[in-house]
Amino acid sequence: MNQRIVHHPVLGSLDAGKSLHFRFNGTTYPAYEGETIAAALLASGVRTLRVHEEKGTPRGIYCNIGHCYECRVTVDGVPTVRACMTLVQDGMEVTAGVVLPTPLKKGGHSQ
Amino acid sequence: MMDAHQLIVCRCEEVSLAELLETAEAYQCSARELKLRTRAGMGCCGGRTCRMLVDQVIEQATGHSPSHTIPLGYQPPVRPISFQTLGGRNR
Repeated sequence: MNQRIVHHPVLGSLDAGKSLHFRFNGTTYPAYEGETIAAALLASGVRTLRVHEEKGTPRGIYCNIGHCYECRVTVDGVPTVRACMTLVQDGMEVTAGVVLPTPLKKGGHSQ
Repeated sequence: MMDAHQLIVCRCEEVSLAELLETAEAYQCSARELKLRTRAGMGCCGGRTCRMLVDQVIEQATGHSPSHTIPLGYQPPVRPISFQTLGGRNR
């Protein structure tokens, strides 16, 4: 799937840079140089970038300008990286946030 | 309007408008107390997304506009920052 806007009435034609590949949750996705992680995944049809740490509800791009941290992912082992502000690098290993244990909460879980 | 139980105000901590309104009505408190009771504004983004809305909920519930004597503080770090970054990692 490639949902990139190649010809835009205002922005003109997409001058695609170098083709890169990166992995998100173990699956390899294509990207172009200069694309953010969030943009490259959206172009491939991936909208869910993480789930809420406690409730498990899905999260994706919200503000796309680096303010809200909704799109935070783990990049090469570094947590809390904003997918909308981080450019894809070839061979990047990106993982989505998962539900974290809440053993001290009433009705919580330790798994 | 959307159902207030479905309307998420604080996305980081997933606090709904209904939860905020009920808490504000019950305790008639300051914005800071509302934050501490519901965790709205205590998430990863540091309250930059929902701070104004939390203030407005208090205004609606108590009739007092936030006096900022007990503010929803603006304080460093402006963005979440890891100890690794403080320790010199450049990302």
